[in-house]
Amino acid sequence: MAEQPATTDPTPASRLPLSLLLALAWLVPGLGHLLLGRRLRAAVFFVVIGIAFVVGLLLQGELILPTAGDPLSYLAAIASIGNGTLFFVAKYLGLGQGVVTAVSYEYGNTFLLTAGMMNLLLLLDIHDIVDGRKEW
Amino acid sequence: MADHLSLMTLHALLVAVYFSFLWKHGRRERWLYFWKVFGALMVGAVALGWLMYSFPRT
Repeated sequence: MAEQPATTDPTPASRLPLSLLLALAWLVPGLGHLLLGRRLRAAVFFVVIGIAFVVGLLLQGELILPTAGDPLSYLAAIASIGNGTLFFVAKYLGLGQGVVTAVSYEYGNTFLLTAGMMNLLLLLDIHDIVDGRKEW
Repeated sequence: MADHLSLMTLHALLVAVYFSFLWKHGRRERWLYFWKVFGALMVGAVALGWLMYSFPRT
């Protein structure tokens, strides 16, 4: 599936404010790229981040929130919340509580945090595309 | 599928796919980059594990 550069294939998203585009991209993994016309990459990112997130939950991982007196928990919370809608839906459904005694707990955390960081990194990619620093 | 090697392989697979699509353009470049990242993660993890074997927890 060929992906067209934004400069030759303007999409409606090109006219969206960057902040709105970034917010949408954060909420749904791959949505930002989809709105910019990068359909293949959007699909790949959605699937990869989705799989990582679901595997993390299945492995009894925890969607970490900030804890007073634990500075590292703030960094972990940024990564967790970086999952966007996936984070909020999982929290709403009572998932991602984390079972510390489970043998797979740390593995689950790794998958959940990785998924969030990957989604956040996409925001920088979208910024580069909109800014014209990346043409594909 | 809860053993360390399987989960590590899955993690390396996902990360390699992600970065090959994030940073590379074109089928051939993506494949090359995918195998580089996947190989580096797998070989690196095994090598690091092998090195850590010399320093057991007491």
